[in-house]
Amino acid sequence: MFETVAYESRQRLPGTAVLAASLAAFAGMVIAITPGVIGEVDMDAILAQLPPGLVESLGLGELGTAEGFIALELYQFVWIVGLGAYLAYTAASTIAGDVETGRLDTVLAAPIGRTRLLLEKYLALLTPIAVVNVVVFTVIYAGAIYIDEPIAATDLAMVHLLSVPYLLACAAVGMLASVLAPRRLVAEGVAAGAIVGTFLLQTIVVGADVEWLGAIAPMRYYDPLTILTESHYDLAGAAILLAAAAALIVAASIAFRERDLT
Amino acid sequence: MPAIEFDELTKYYGDVRGIEDLTLDVESGEVFGFLGPNGAGKTTTIRTLMGFQRPTAGTATVLGTDIRDRAALRETRANVGYLPDDVGLDEGVTGRRLLDYHGQLRGDVRSEELLELFDPPLDRKVGEYSSGNKQMLALIIAFMHDPDLLIMDEPTSGLDPLKQERLLEFIRAEQRRGKTFFFSSHILSEVRKICDRVGIIRDGHLVELETVESLLDRSGKVVRARVQGGVDAADIDLDGAHDVTVTDGDADAATVSFTYTGAYDPLLATLRDFDLLDLSIEEAPLEDVFMRFYGEDPSAKVQAINDRAERPDV
Repeated sequence: MFETVAYESRQRLPGTAVLAASLAAFAGMVIAITPGVIGEVDMDAILAQLPPGLVESLGLGELGTAEGFIALELYQFVWIVGLGAYLAYTAASTIAGDVETGRLDTVLAAPIGRTRLLLEKYLALLTPIAVVNVVVFTVIYAGAIYIDEPIAATDLAMVHLLSVPYLLACAAVGMLASVLAPRRLVAEGVAAGAIVGTFLLQTIVVGADVEWLGAIAPMRYYDPLTILTESHYDLAGAAILLAAAAALIVAASIAFRERDLT
Repeated sequence: MPAIEFDELTKYYGDVRGIEDLTLDVESGEVFGFLGPNGAGKTTTIRTLMGFQRPTAGTATVLGTDIRDRAALRETRANVGYLPDDVGLDEGVTGRRLLDYHGQLRGDVRSEELLELFDPPLDRKVGEYSSGNKQMLALIIAFMHDPDLLIMDEPTSGLDPLKQERLLEFIRAEQRRGKTFFFSSHILSEVRKICDRVGIIRDGHLVELETVESLLDRSGKVVRARVQGGVDAADIDLDGAHDVTVTDGDADAATVSFTYTGAYDPLLATLRDFDLLDLSIEEAPLEDVFMRFYGEDPSAKVQAINDRAERPDV
């Protein structure tokens, strides 16, 4: 059992190390500039010059606190858009890439079912998800103490913990794209595009008549800003994300089972 | 029970025909060669057998399992070894790591002894492998769980002559252990050496199903005689003689050659009428037989292109 999870997880280690190092460096930079920004920049004056709609939809009102600044600089964009799109992209290249290189033939010649293979490839994506969460949590937590702007450990832990369902949902979007798209490049583009696109959609519809449209955006169910600034944990949102991920994976495995591998 | 039983197996890709109405049995314990030109449908047949794609119509059984039954076929694959046409392997890992993984998926009972026959550099990354090394690694993966049936798409491709010979010898030995082989090939000498029967496929249809011997018998002998004092093609008045040609003729002697399908006595009776300087009777090359089934004359095609190249203004 889980031979493929173990194998693929190990395959993902070098890429995961690079990803974790880059995100840790970015987190370190955000920490480093935080004291200067919240101490010396007059945020209220800057925000007064921006359109109120933009300030509201991006939650910029919290930029003046350490939690708010870190949440907005790191989590709202890098985590939600960057990491989300990365996981969707990476998931998209799994099956589609293996079909393209013919690797899938060699694996499926073994007595392993397609559903199980897809599920194991999906679960292997927990490796980068877990590693970057642990690494960046550590950097931010220790860094915040170092700059004397400590962040509540529970809030920070919840930011990372609740990002797991979110990232799993993004990866599930990628898995579905991976089995449906005719080629790897198409799968990757569609999957990463879906994350960026729904993020933009959700940002645009905030406060508008069609705000309900944003319900398809996974980022609606995970909000690091309110976790860090208000200690508000959206557990229902996390449940919705997990359910959506499960539904996407079921759809992907049905599509994978039915298709010809050509 | 036949190891593989095709029952009007048909696969279309949209409107494009892959294979159509393929019906034949591969008997348990035989080495079956599946031949045909590029694009004839060999790989389509093999990939449909493995369950990578669904048949459009008809079906086949592999070791008694209907290929349309995905779950049952998955179980059956534990007893099938497969070598793909274009070997796709993870490039970022060492051969050893890949072998471990595939051993976990299908069981590994004999990779160590196989490594004595085929020796890819296991500690190097697969991405650095030559095509021959990749082929050897894929062969080990195909045989490592000691399956009863081997389905192989161009098994010797990429191997050096020594390794090719080793593989053919290994296939013969495995056949003696009761294993069944179904493989596609272009290489006539290897077909000749190890196949019991061949099926020839062209444009998705099975056009010939024969034992190798009868194929050769039917293709006849090539007779070449050097005779004293000249000869005319019309002098060879013999049933079963085809394509009689006379070459190297001069006042003293000429060479007559033809393909002959028939018994030896009438042939020798005819030849005794001549003053023979030299005589050879050889088996017709298998190539000629295949060209006939493939329906193509390579020299004519090349000649046509050359003619065009020499007259670019036309």
